[in-house]
Parts: sequence; C-alpha cells; structure tokens
Amino acid sequence: MTEATAADRPAAAHVELPPMLLAGTALLGLWIVVAIGADWLAPYGPLEQDLSRTLQGPSAAHWLGTDNYGRDVLSRILHGARLDLQIAVLGVLFPFLIGNLIGLLAGYLGGWTDIVAMRLLEVTMAFPFLVLVIAIIAVLGPGLGSLYVALALVGWVSYARLTRAQVLVLKSADFVSAARVMGLGAWRVMWRHLLPNAVTPAVVFAMTDAVLVVLLGSALSYLGLGAQPPAAEWGVMIAEGQQFLASAWWICLFPGLAIVSLAMGFSLLADGLAERLGTRP
Amino acid sequence: MIGRTVRRVGLALLTSAATWTAAWAEGTLKIGRDQDSVYMDPILVSQNADVWVLNNINALLVRNTRDATGVEPDLAQSWTISEDGKTYTFTLRENLLFSDGSPLKASDVKFSIERLRDGEGSVFGSMFTVIDAIEIPDDRTVVFQLKERNEPFLTVLALFAAAILPEAAVTADYDSFSAMPIGAGAFRLVEWRRGDRIVLERNPHYWEPGLPKLDRVEWHYIPNDNTRILQLQAGELDAMIFVPFNRIAELDAAEGIEVHLDPSSRMDHILINHARPPLDDVRVRRALAKGIDVDAIIQAVTFGYGTPANSYIPAGGMFYNPDNPRWTHDPEGAKALLSEAGASDLSLKFLVQAGDANYEQVAVLVQDQLGRLGIKVAIEKQETGQAWDTIVEGDYDLNTNYWTNDVIDPDQKTGFVLYGDDPDVLSYYTRYNNPKVNELILQARIEPDQDKRRALYYEIQRIAQEDVNWLGLYYSPFRNASRSYVKNFFQNPMGRFMLETTSIEK
Repeated sequence: MTEATAADRPAAAHVELPPMLLAGTALLGLWIVVAIGADWLAPYGPLEQDLSRTLQGPSAAHWLGTDNYGRDVLSRILHGARLDLQIAVLGVLFPFLIGNLIGLLAGYLGGWTDIVAMRLLEVTMAFPFLVLVIAIIAVLGPGLGSLYVALALVGWVSYARLTRAQVLVLKSADFVSAARVMGLGAWRVMWRHLLPNAVTPAVVFAMTDAVLVVLLGSALSYLGLGAQPPAAEWGVMIAEGQQFLASAWWICLFPGLAIVSLAMGFSLLADGLAERLGTRP
Repeated sequence: MIGRTVRRVGLALLTSAATWTAAWAEGTLKIGRDQDSVYMDPILVSQNADVWVLNNINALLVRNTRDATGVEPDLAQSWTISEDGKTYTFTLRENLLFSDGSPLKASDVKFSIERLRDGEGSVFGSMFTVIDAIEIPDDRTVVFQLKERNEPFLTVLALFAAAILPEAAVTADYDSFSAMPIGAGAFRLVEWRRGDRIVLERNPHYWEPGLPKLDRVEWHYIPNDNTRILQLQAGELDAMIFVPFNRIAELDAAEGIEVHLDPSSRMDHILINHARPPLDDVRVRRALAKGIDVDAIIQAVTFGYGTPANSYIPAGGMFYNPDNPRWTHDPEGAKALLSEAGASDLSLKFLVQAGDANYEQVAVLVQDQLGRLGIKVAIEKQETGQAWDTIVEGDYDLNTNYWTNDVIDPDQKTGFVLYGDDPDVLSYYTRYNNPKVNELILQARIEPDQDKRRALYYEIQRIAQEDVNWLGLYYSPFRNASRSYVKNFFQNPMGRFMLETTSIEK
C-alpha cells in the first residue's frame, strides 16, 4: 500500500517549480533572515527612546526616520518581523491542527461524530469572523496570547470543512478500501493513508490564511487588542504613527510596506503551492 | 457687587437696542467635533461632548463668567444671601420664556433643581443634597434653604446640570423631551441625528437682548482628527474642536485659519492605586514622582503646549497656589527612596484607555523612564468603558486620566479627588485616604472667610503633593480652530463655548 499512496502524489523530480513559488519563498525567506538577524541588522534598539530626535525624516543616521519617541523606524520594522512572523505561524498553526483533526474524524467516521462536528462548525460560522475573534479577546484580555486562542477557536472551521470534503471523496477511493480490507485500524487508515492525500487544499489555504492572519494581527494591534505598546509590531507602529500621518508620513508608510511585502510573500507561496500540488485531472 | 450693578445697567441699555441688533443675526456655523452626544437630559450628562452642546440650549440661574473667575446673573437677575449663609433668595428676570414660547416661572426652577437633587440616575445629585427645601413665594422668587452653610453653593448652581427645564414638558412626556429637549438657552435644538449631527437654531425668546448673533449652529461628529482638519481646510467646516498638539503650529500658519488656544481647567494626571502594595508606601510614590520626567513628557506629548502641574487645582483656578512645590526629575533620589522602602523588583500594571493617542504616549514614555529605575511597567490597553470599570474595581497600579472643572469652586474636585471617606468615589478610585486632608476639606466647605478658605486650600494642595496622591502631569489649553471669518469662537476655562456671542463676518 505504500505504492498506492505514492502513486497518488506527483513525482517531484519531474515537475518544474512554478516561479510564483520561488518568488514567494524568496520573499518569506528574506523576512525570516531579517527576523533571526534583527539584533545584528538593526542599527538601534527597537525600544530605544531619544526625545531629542523625535519625528525626524529619513536621513543617513536614521534611514527610515524616527517616530514621536525618537525611536528608529528601521530598527523597529526589523524587530517587528519577529512578532509578525510569529503571528503568521502561530495564528495559522493551531487552527490548522485542530481543523484538520476535526475534519478528518468527521469525514471518516461520519455518524454522530460528523453531526456534532458540523453543528459546532455551523454555530461558529453563524457569527461574523472578526466579531467573534474580538469578543473572545475582550473576554480573555488584550494581548497576543488571547489572539492565538481566539484564532484557534474560530479559525479551525475553514480547515475542518476543506479536509472533511476531501476525506469524503477519498474515503471511497481504492487505496483506502485496500487499506481497510487489509484489516488496518481506523486511526492508521486516517493518519497514514487519508490525511497525506486529503491535506493538500488545507496546506494551500494555510498560506492564504497566513496573509489574512498577518493583516488581522496588525488590525487588532491597531485597535489595541493584539500586541501591546511599546512592542515593535507593524500594526502597532501604524496605529502609533497615524496621528502624524500629515506631518511624519514615514512612521506609517514603511511598516505598511513591510506588511504588504510579507502578505505578498505568503500569497505568492499559496499560489505557487496550489499550482505545484494542485489536484490533477 | 459693584461690578454686577454696572453690568445690569449696561444690559438695560442693550435692551432698548434689541430691535435693531436682531437684524445682525445671520449665518450658519458648522463645527466639527471628535465625539458624539449620548444624553441631552442635563441630569444624566457627564461627558464633555454632551455638556458643550447642552450649554448652548440651556440657561441657569447664575452662570460662570467668561474668564471663569466668578458667577454672573443668567436667568436670575439678582440674589441675596442670609447672614448665616443658609438662605439664598433669587429674583428671576421679567417675562422669561422657554424656547417653545412657554413662560419660565419659579415653579420650573424648583422642579428642575429638585429633580437634579433627587432624580434617578442624576450624576451630580450629591452636590445638591445640601438643599433642604426650595420655596417659591411668587412666580419670580426662589428661596433655597440649606441644611448647613455651604460656601461653594452659588458656583454649584452654575453647573450645567442645574439647567432650568420646563416642568410641563418634562412631566407630560419625558421620552419625547429627552429626545428633543427644550431649554431657555441662546439656541434651541431642532435636529439630533445620532452619530452624525446636532442642529441648533437661534432661540427667538432668549432673554439676553440682541443675542445670539448666529441663526444656526451645526455640530458635526467627525471622529478622525485628520478628516476634521481636512474639512476645515476645505471650507466644509467653519470651525473644529480638538486640534492634535502636533498640528497646531502648521494649522495656525495656514491662510484663512486661526487656532484658538483658550485657557482651560484641564489637568492630565496618572492615577496611582494606593491599595496595592508597595504603592501604599509614600516613599515608593515619591520615587515614582521623582522618577518620571514631566518636562520631557510635556515636550513629547503636547509639543510644548502644556505646562507642568504643581497642584491638583488647575493653574488660574480658584485658590490655586502658584508656589506649591513641584516634584522634579531626580532618578538618583528615586532609586534611593526605592531601596529605602525595600521595593526592589517592582512591576506595575499601567492601564491605558484605547483610542487616546496622548494617553498611550504618556504610558510608553513613563514605561521607559521608570524602566531606568528598574521598575517593570506593563501597559494594558482597554476599551474606555471597560477601563473605567477596571479603575472602579481597583485592578490597576497606574492609569492616565484627566479632569476638567465643572464648577469654579475647588470644593467639587477636591472632594472627588482627595476625600477618602466617600466610599462611592474613593479619591478618584486611587484609594488615597488621609484623615487630615478629609478634615480640611470639610472645614473649607463651611469657612465663610475667603482668606481663611484660601489658606485651607493651600494646605490641602501642599499635603496632597507631599503624599503624591497621584502623579500630576500638565495643564493644557483647549485647542480649537476656525476660519478667520468666524469671530469670537471662544471656549471658557470650564469648557463652555460662548456661542451666543460668536458671529460670522464674511
């Protein structure tokens, strides 16, 4: 049966990598390098205030200018990469794990498991996504921890739906029947045979989701519900700079560009992966 | 008293000129503001956005003068105070009318003040419980009998909440009254679209001859500072309130726009929760006072438009002591105090109301400054309503806040901020309680001699500063802007926009 599953996957060596995948990987890789090396790359500390040099435009000393506390915008953006990547990864990882597990169980076991899981899913989806996330954070108290919990509680539904649909199609496939006929337990069939084949759409979606999570994290930080000041987080930086938009545009603009480029990285990766892993006819 | 008589003669002269001054009235004034009104019933109101509109549609017995150093006649033309300070007799002006044309009588005054004192949900009711009885011997005479001498009483009657309302309209149908209230102020409310605008038109029955000069005032709710400024620049607004500190210089330099920095009674401060050790130790609080660099905060947050606070009473306020000592930035002294108090490894929860950029800036600066003393400060942002609950419950160490005076006399603020025996207020929820201060506050309330009262308040200011009841930050002016053709757009230190004298001269 090892052969059976392998046959369902594309033979990696023979397929060229789509350019979008390469571009997305490169962009993300760049931010990962920046996040790891922020301490060495950043010319100043991200929280280092210097009230004698506030609201200065881009210059040789401060490439991207300073904010209203005299903090170096470039250094804050470089350090902010850590937080924003962390938000992207953790904000997607928990919903991904929970959603896939529920989708797999519901799709394969069916019956009551499916009914309970689907009702739970419908109840969660009945509320607007953002409203539910904000409500959960309001109960738990603002902060990134609460944000991850809220995303895990609300975000799983998309993954569960995708994976369940895949499992429903695949569970009547020959290789699954073969595995069952050989007397393998339900867990082993699901874990080793179904999941690797059913998870592809969820993986692609996770990349798109990462874009949304980064934007959501920034938006919630902007509202005061995510990262707390003085943290160097891009959404926080934009929120802090907003009142100086007319006089010191650099405080908002550069973190904004950083968010756009990270989101683009994930988007390209998602498109590339979809092309690469896309369900073949 | 002399000044008051002269003023009345002046008014009599103006009355004869009323016929032709009415012809001046012209124009619509569009004002952009950052907050929307919630209530229009004066006894339910506590936020400035509500008060600033109400002041235009309501009249009081007496009102604060333009510079807010005393009170002057409004609906009452004169009054006498008995020797023992317990009986106040007011005489109303002749032929007073509400904006709907119905007569304003002594019974309306009695009704309004009793409702303010006893009404359900009345925010400032406790300030009026000193009134024992209100008698109305005739339609133009109102007599207040107080339970005991109360020096601030006359200034308390100038509180916006003590507006005189038409008894008939309020009792007949309260719901329609509260949705579209009637008063005796310079303007009358004609439209109230929540979340959008409030429209006022001149009250033809207003008592002050020749006023108001404007036909119409529109308060537009435009929460975003940048949008409000753009609309003023584009000429879509004639005036706007709350110019952010960082835009003042630029806007004032712009052609055809004037920025008005009117002296205000606003003071920004940081509340300290005395109930959470080691903040109950005065040495630790003094260390905080020495540890923060108020001058640097003023420069960074207000761009130099604020002045450092040396007293809980605003500069220029009644009984303010300009020589009250001020804590100065002294990190070494702060460290010494901390180690003396054995408060090493201090970590504090700094509660910040979300949405106010200045509060957040103060918090971030203070976090950095106290961090240099080894104090860990964790900032927690909460939505404004939730933050208030947190303050009341006492689940905080530090919190940025501000106060603007509603009454000229310092008694109101002092009672709220420093009187620790009031279980409802707990010294502005700081839980500060100094028996000596409590005693001085009660003493000052009944002291008839002005010099002795002043001495008492000087003493209170000194002790509060020594005890570090809170961390005083700065006094700052009201910041409004208008197109140059708007004349006399002015806000007095109590926040009252004196729109009856505002005019448009193109």
